[in-house]
This record gives sequence, C-alpha cells and structure tokens, in this order.
Amino acid sequence: MSQAGNLREDTEEAGPSVDSENPEERIAARRLRIAARSEAKKRQELGDDSREKKEIKEEARKSQHQVEQSEKRMIKLQSDGTELVTNIQVAADSRESRRQTEVEEAHRLRVEKLENEAKSSLEKFEEITRKWTVAKMKEIPQDLRDSLSSQQQLCALLIEDKNKLIHELQKEMKLSDDRYVKDLKKQAEDVDLMIERMEDQVKFLMGSYRDELDQIENSFEHERKILLTGNRKKWEQYTKERRDKELENVTQRMKRVEEYEVLLQQLRTEDTEEYNMIKIKLDTDVQILEQQLQQMKATYQLNQEKLEYNFQVLKKRDEENTITKSQQKRKITRLQDVVNNLKIKCANQEKQSREENQNLTDDYTRIMQQYKHMQKKMRHFAAIDAKKFEEVWLMNEEEVKALVEKALDTDRLVHEQQLGLAWQRPSLAFMERCGPLQPHRQTQKTAHQAISELLQLGQTSGLGKGKYQEAGVGPGAESPGLAVEVYDSGAGLESGSSEVEREREGSEGEHSGTVSVKIVKKLLELLCDEAGFLIESKLLKLLSPLEKDEQSLMKLDSIFTAMGIESEEDVYKLADFFMKYRHTQGEQTQDVSAKWGVASPQAERGEFTSSCSPPSDLIHPNDVLVALRAFTAQHCRPRELAASHQHSMLGLGGRDDTEDAAYWEAMGDVIPEAKLKIWGALEAALDKYHIVLTERSKFITDTQSLKQQNTELRMLLHQYVNSRVNAELEIPPNLVMQLAPEGTN
Amino acid sequence: FANSNISPGAGMYPPVAKLNLAADPRKMRRIIAEDPEWSLTVVPLLSNLCLQHIVRNFEEKPILEELLPRHKDYVLERLSPSLPLQVTANLISDDGYWKRCCKQRWGLCDVSSYGHSWKRMFFERHLENIIELYIPDATDPKTVLGMVPLCRNYVKRLDISQLMPPIKEPQKSEDDDNSDSASDMGMDGPSMDHFDFGILLDKLNHLEEFHVVYRVKGCGMNFEWNLFEFTFRDCESLAKALKSCKTLKVLRIHQSKVDDEKCRQLVNNLLDHPSLRELNLSHNLIGDRGARAIGKLLNRSKLERLTVYDNNIRGPGAQAIAYALAKNSSLLSLNLRLNRLGDEGGQAIAQALLKNRTLKWLHLGGNEMTEPTATVLSQVLVQNNTLRSINLSCNRLGMDGGKVLEEGMCHNSSMVECDIRLTEVGQESDYCISQVVRNNQNQAHRKHNTEENLAQTSEHY
Repeated sequence: MSQAGNLREDTEEAGPSVDSENPEERIAARRLRIAARSEAKKRQELGDDSREKKEIKEEARKSQHQVEQSEKRMIKLQSDGTELVTNIQVAADSRESRRQTEVEEAHRLRVEKLENEAKSSLEKFEEITRKWTVAKMKEIPQDLRDSLSSQQQLCALLIEDKNKLIHELQKEMKLSDDRYVKDLKKQAEDVDLMIERMEDQVKFLMGSYRDELDQIENSFEHERKILLTGNRKKWEQYTKERRDKELENVTQRMKRVEEYEVLLQQLRTEDTEEYNMIKIKLDTDVQILEQQLQQMKATYQLNQEKLEYNFQVLKKRDEENTITKSQQKRKITRLQDVVNNLKIKCANQEKQSREENQNLTDDYTRIMQQYKHMQKKMRHFAAIDAKKFEEVWLMNEEEVKALVEKALDTDRLVHEQQLGLAWQRPSLAFMERCGPLQPHRQTQKTAHQAISELLQLGQTSGLGKGKYQEAGVGPGAESPGLAVEVYDSGAGLESGSSEVEREREGSEGEHSGTVSVKIVKKLLELLCDEAGFLIESKLLKLLSPLEKDEQSLMKLDSIFTAMGIESEEDVYKLADFFMKYRHTQGEQTQDVSAKWGVASPQAERGEFTSSCSPPSDLIHPNDVLVALRAFTAQHCRPRELAASHQHSMLGLGGRDDTEDAAYWEAMGDVIPEAKLKIWGALEAALDKYHIVLTERSKFITDTQSLKQQNTELRMLLHQYVNSRVNAELEIPPNLVMQLAPEGTN
Repeated sequence: FANSNISPGAGMYPPVAKLNLAADPRKMRRIIAEDPEWSLTVVPLLSNLCLQHIVRNFEEKPILEELLPRHKDYVLERLSPSLPLQVTANLISDDGYWKRCCKQRWGLCDVSSYGHSWKRMFFERHLENIIELYIPDATDPKTVLGMVPLCRNYVKRLDISQLMPPIKEPQKSEDDDNSDSASDMGMDGPSMDHFDFGILLDKLNHLEEFHVVYRVKGCGMNFEWNLFEFTFRDCESLAKALKSCKTLKVLRIHQSKVDDEKCRQLVNNLLDHPSLRELNLSHNLIGDRGARAIGKLLNRSKLERLTVYDNNIRGPGAQAIAYALAKNSSLLSLNLRLNRLGDEGGQAIAQALLKNRTLKWLHLGGNEMTEPTATVLSQVLVQNNTLRSINLSCNRLGMDGGKVLEEGMCHNSSMVECDIRLTEVGQESDYCISQVVRNNQNQAHRKHNTEENLAQTSEHY
C-alpha cells in the first residue's frame, strides 16, 4: 500500500498540474482529473453493487488492486529498462547519422576539392601543353633549356599539387581508419554497456518481480487470514446455537418418552387381554381348520395317488404311443419305399404288360390269321382227304371185290373139282355197291329261319313249308351284308349242317305245336319291343327305311345274336321258358322279383303290381327283361356244351365209320364158316397126299442119281483095272475089288 | 554370491560366460547402481540381442517401423548419431535421436528458434553449413543437391551467414566507389560468382524464411574487398531462385552491398510473389531508384513488413515509397531507420499516413527530419488511429516540432509507443507525449484485459 501511495504521490508530483503555466499541460491535467473522477465514480458504483456481497468482495478487490498495481509498476519498470537499454542504440543511431552526414559532407568537400584541383591542374596542364608548342618554336638551345626547365618546374608543381592532394587524402583515410577503429571500439563499448545494462535490468526486474510477487502473495495471504477468522467465528457461533438446540430437544424428548411409556403400558395391558381372547378363539378355529385340513389332506392324498396312477398309465401309454408312432413312422417310410418301388415296378410291369399285350394282340392277330389259314387248309385237306378216302375206298373195294371173286371162284373150284359138289353162288348185294358209305345227317334250322318262318306264319297263316324254304333263302338274299355280319364265322358251319337239320323239320314242327305259333309270334314282338337296347344303334339307322316286318325281323335277329340264340330250337326253348315263367310267375312273383331285381327294388315293385293286374296269358312286358336274364343264365351252359360238341364233330371231318366195319366184314364173310371147315379138312387130306407124292418123287430122283453113280463108278473101275500099273503091283486092284464087294456084300 | 550365481551359467555356457567375464569386468560386480538396465542375468534376452543386432546393422538394414514401440525406443536410444543421413533422414522422426545428433555436432543448441524441432534444427544447420562452406567451381554441386531429397521436408528456414567466393588470385582493383566496383565485378565475369541458389530453392518446398549475407566471416587479416562482393550475376541467379520459391515468406538480404540495380533486379522478380510477407534489405546501398522499385513492390505483393534501414534512401525514394504507402492496404510495419529522407521524404511519408489505414508500426529514426515533418506528423496523430507505434528518434525536430507533436498527441488515443529521444524536443512536450502514451497504454491494456475476461466468461458459460 505504501508503495502504491508513493506512486500516486509521484504521479501527482510529476504529472501535469492545473496550475501549470503551459495551457496544454493544464488541459492534460484537467483531462486526467476528469478521467480519475469518472474512474472513482465507476469504482463507487461497483462497490455499491457489491456491497451486498459484503467484505469478501472488497477484500478480493484489494488483492486485485494489488495485482493491477504491481502489473502497472512492472510495465513501467520494463519500459524504463528498455528505454535505458535502447538509449544506447538511439545514441549510436544518432552518432551514425551524424557520421553519415559528416561523411557525406566530407565527401562533398572532397569532391569539390578534387574538382577544383582538377580544374586548376587542368589549367596548369593546358599551360604546360601550350608551353610545349612555344618550346617547339624555340630554336636556341638555351631558350629551349630554359623553357624546358620552366616546364619541368611547372610539371613538378603540378605533381606536387597532386601529391599534396594524395597526401591529404591519405591523411583523411588514415583519419577515417582511426575513426573506424574508434567507432569499432566505441561500438564494442556500447555493446558491453548494453549487455551490462541488460543484465542489470534483468537482475533488477527479477528482484522487483519477486518483490511484487511477495507483495501479491502477502495480500492474498492477508485476505485469506481475514476470511478464515471470519468464517471460524461464524462457524463457532453456529455450532453453539446448534448445541443449545440439541439440549432443548433432548429434554423435550425425555419428557415425551416418559409420557409414551405410560401410554404404552396401558395399551399393553389392554392388548394382552384382547390378545388372549382372540388367541383362544383362534385356537379353536385352528383346531377345526386342522381337522378339515387333515381331511382335505387325506382326500388330496387319495386323489394324488389316483392321479399319479393315471399319470403313470398315461405316461406308459404315451410311451407306447410314441414307440408305435415311431414304428409307424418307420413303417410308413419303409412302406413308402416299398410303394415307390412298387410304383416303379408297377410302371415297369405295366409297360411290360402293355408290351406283352401288344405282343399278344399281335400274336393273336397272327394266330387268328394262321387259324383262318389253317381252317382254310383244313377244309382243303378235308376235301382232299375225302377224295383220297373215296379213291382208297374204291381201290380197296375193287381189290376186295377181286379177292371175293377169287375166293368165290376158289370155292367153286374146290366144290366142283375136289368135292365134286355143285356150287351155288351166294347172294352178294354189296358187291353191286360202289364208293364209300355216305352217312346221313340233318342240319338244324337256324333261329333266323325259324323267326322269319314264324313271322311269315303270322302274316300268311295258311302258308306251307314251301314258303318256309323261300323265306329261309329270302332274308339271306335281301340283306347279304347283314347276313355276313351276323353269321360272320359260323355261316359256313351252319350251311354245312343245314341239310341234316332240314330232315328233322317234321319233328320240329310238332314241337312248335306245343307252343302255339301265335303266342310265339307275340312273344317275339314283345321281345322286339322290350329288348331294343340290345340292338346296335347303327343297325337301327340302317333299318329305318325297311318295312315294319323286316325291321322287326332284323331286330329280332340282332337280339338273338346278342343273347346267343342261334337255332330254332333255342327260339322255341325261349318261348317255352317264357310260357313256363308266366305260369310260375303267379305263384312266385315275389321270389322271382327278389331274385332278379336286386339292383332296383322300387322299379320291381311297380313292375310287380303292374304285372299282377293284367291277367293276360302272355308274359307282362315288364317281366320280359327279368325272364330274359333268367333264360340266358340257364341257356348259356347247354349251348356251350353244344358248341364244344359241334367243334369235335367238325374235327372228325363229318364221317361215320360205324357201318364200314360191317360192310367190310360182310366182304370178309363171303366164305362161311362151314365151308372153311370143309376147306380145312380138304387141305389136311391134300397135305397128306402131297407128302406122299413128294416122297415118291424124292425116291425117284434118288434112284435115278444112284443109277448114274453106278455107271460112273463102273467106268472108273474099268479104267483102273485096265491100267498097266496094276500089273506091276503085288496085289492088283482087281483082287481088292473083288475082295471089297465080297466084304460089303 | 556373484560367483555362485555365475558359475552355473558358466558351466552351462562356458565359452560365452568366459568371454563375457574376460571382456567385461563389470560382470564381476554385483550391482551397478548407475546403470538402470543392469541385471545379473548372464545371458541377455533374445529380444535384446536382436535389437542390439538391429542397432549394429542399422546402416545395412534399417528396421524401425516394424518394431514394437518399446523396442523402437530401445533402438532409437542406441543408434549412433553418425549414421549416414541417407538412412536416417526420412526414416527416423524421433526428436531424441536428432537431439543427440545436434548435441554431438554443435554442442550448444537453442531449439526454441527452430520451432522446438531438433530434426528441423539439424537439417537446417546442416544445410546451412554445407552452403556456407560451398566454394564455387571447387565443390561439387552434388554435395548440396544430394542433401535436397533428405532435408527438403524439414527445412523451413535458411540462415546463410556467409558465402565463399571462388578461390582465385586476389583481385587488384580495390575500388572505393561501391557502384563502380559492383559494375566492375559484374564485368569481371563469372569468376566472382557465389553459390547459385537457383539449383536449391525451388526444390525446398517447405522453405519459408531465407536469410542470406554475401560476405565471408572471420577473414581476419586476410581481408579483401572482393570477399564481400555481391555480383550482378549472383543477384540475377538469386532473384530467379527467389521467384521459383513459392513458399517463401520472409526474405532477408543483409550487408550485401545491394545497390539500386540489384534491388531493382530483385524486386522485378519478387513482383506478385504469392507468399512473401516480409522483406528486409538492411545495411545495403539502396538509393532512390531502388526505393522506387520497392515502392512498386509494395502494391504488387502482400508485404506486411518492410525493413530497409541503414540504406541510402533520400527524398525522392521516400516520396515513391510514400506514394505506394498511401494506396497500400497490407503493410503493417515500415522501418526506414538511418536513411536520408530529410523533410521532403518525411513529409511525403506523413502525408501518405493520412490516407493509409493499415500501417501500425513506423520507424523513421535518424532521417534528418526537422520541424515541417513534425507538423505534418501531428496532423497524422490527430487523424490516424491505426498507427500504434512511431519512432522519430535522432531527428532534429526541435522545440517547436515537439510542441506541435504534443498538440497532435493530445488528440490521439491509439498511439502506444512514441519514441522521441534525441530529437531536441522540449522536456515538457516529451513528458506530455509520454503521459498520453502511457494513458493509451493503460487503456489498451484494460481493453485487452476486458477482452480476455470476456473470452474467459464466454468460455465458462
């Protein structure tokens, strides 16, 4: 503070005063005063503002003030220092500038001097040169010498001047050299001085900085102390207050505690009583509840066990289920595989079978062709065979006949020659016959024919059998296409057998008599109406332009082919069946309808009622179908049998050989048994005779050969005996020979 | 204990242990307090061995960036500072290594003037050394060019304190007339040319400051005038080099006998320079023509500081500069100390200041100015409130001039410094002026403080 005060005094002392003589100074002083006042005012305001914040702020401001003051002081010191240091520089500068001006001046003077000198010397030189011309003019050696010497003098003068100048300049140079050295020295000194001052300044500044710092620290310390003491006082005051309050509180609390204790005691007694009451009550409750609880527990236990058992069972089941499920799954997968495999297989199989089927159909068509071919062949062969048979037959017959003739001839010979009996020729009817035996057969009348016949009968009731034959040919000629279509393959056979059938006609006619023709006709008409569904639609179209009778004929024809009725017999059978059916119907309608109408019972019922009501002798149209079905079912089997029979007939070639054996037998029996016996006896006698005869012949031949031998031997003997050798022999062969026959004989 | 500890190791690795024991007596000691890495283990860690190997063979195979940070530090601590720069320059950025390099090479170092970057300091000083010892025609330019790729990323300032002339038999012509000698030297041909900066400056793409002095230091008794020549060719090459250096901000050519011609040459090449901020041509021989050139430069560049003290600028030159100054809007500082402006130049400058609104710092010390200048300057003081500092020392302003100034000063509120020492001003006016200046200083200070407080409060909230 003291320093600050000093400073202010300094400024007041040194600053511009209002009483100064200088007007500017006065103005400055006034300005300063105004500035100071305004500053003071400002400070006061600040102080007013901060008065609420009490002393702390002010104290802080004191320290701040201190800092500001020290800062100002330091700045002043620094600037003073720098001024002090730079003073040297400035001095040097001024010296330098002075030197420069001096140098400049000197330079200028020198230049002037030199110019003057140059001028004068030039004048002199010109004079000298002038004199040279003068000297040249001179002819007298002495004058010349004089002039030369004067010239010399002049030159010497000139040179002297120059030398003088040079000397002066050199002197100057020396001086400037000296000056340079001096300057250098001075500068060195200046530099030294500057360094010294700088060092001093640094030291001084450091010291003053330290002082200022100390002062600032002191002020801060002071401030802190004041603050601390103030705060401590406050603190103590507050603690005291607190202590008092606490004491008070404690006493109050004690009092209250006592009160509360009394109250508590009271409450406690009351509560205990209440508590006991409630306890007893609750105990009983508890006991009851415990009992209930026990019961509940028991039931609970029971339920639990049950549930557990159920749970176990369910678990087991679940497990089983899972097992089965897994198994099923596995199975499913396996089966899926199998299915897949089978599918593949099936596809393959299908493919195969299709191929096979294709093959088979191909085969079938081929075989059919073959079959047809074979049939054709067979027919051909049959014809050929028949022919051959006939030929063979004829041949054999001829042969046999020849043999018979021969046998008869032999017999006649035997009789006539050996026995001497008269021979009668046996009657031989068969001998007249020629060719194979022809079996006689009848063809069955076809259903078609029968129908047409019947229909025609219906039309012209009085027509005979001649008409029938016409009719039989008629439809065949009228619609050959149809006939071909209907009879397809069976036509040939039918035609083949038609002859045989025709022979039976008579009996058939009788048979048809059992079922009246009219009834049959009606029946057929019924059939035609009812079983129209069996007719092909194509056929119907074709039939439309024909007459009614022809239409119905064709329709019936197709119906019969569909049903498999082929022969007239069948037609009559059918009629018969229908009649019978109608008879039995009355008794067994229900049975029949039950039997044949399973598919649609309602319709049957209607049918039943309707069939019952009309008492006509014909079968009711509604029953026709049922009856037809029954008929076909019955009829099917016998027909199949017949068909197979027919086929076997067909294979044999249609020939009956039963009479052949008898025929041939008769041939063989041309010679009867008695005759044969005779022939046997005759043979035996003849054999004996023959033996005798042969023996005789044999003996004859023997005697003949022996005779021949004898002759030969005689000739040989004669030879031997007559030979010359014999004479020479001791014993002549004659002797031996004589002896030998003696011996043998 | 030591023996017992070492003997098993010796048994296990007899040759190593023996060698170590024999080679290093330290191994026999138990504790070496001064070595923080000392340990009793006989066999060092493999990693340490590897790192040592890396350190030993760093020149052949520099491995650094691949290492872990810890190992990197280890290696950097042990790398020799004498490793070739080709290896280290672009690889090592660690300042510790470069600090060691600098200390080893120069001993005393002040890193604060190099932006606290030891690496920058090393390379700048290294390059300066190379250039300062470069002798034209004798030294291979490759020695300089070879350094360029290594140091161009780190060099921001070049302070060339000397340039060697080519070695030749001493010239006989020791002329006293500067301009004459300069022209003579120019006529003499390339023999006296110094280092050609053209090959260097355009390659240093971070160069910002360039100080050069065409002289020889420490020549002692071998002094010859031609050691201090700045030839015309030098000027030409330097000017071209400066033109090519686009990053340059500060240019200083001291004590190099730059005369009008050279100044014009330089200025011609510096016109419209994209980055030049400060030009210093002090202690030269620049006359009025050179000053005119500088005046032209003022409005054809972004110069902020112009220093041409101790030159030979007179009235006309000052008028040229003043003419430029009146229109200029970038110059902040102008130093015309120790010239020969006279009242003519001083008035011109002062008149220019009436119009100028950017200049803050003006030095007109030692310029032979007198009262008329002071009257104009007082007007300036009243009207101009951008000028912060003015130095009028060593001018004969006289008592009247001082009064005029005082009057002007009374109406001024921006002047913070006003040097009127040795101007023969009266004490009263001196005092008044200093008072006003002090007031202004206080105000400026307060303003500054309040601004700071405001900034702080704004930071707080």
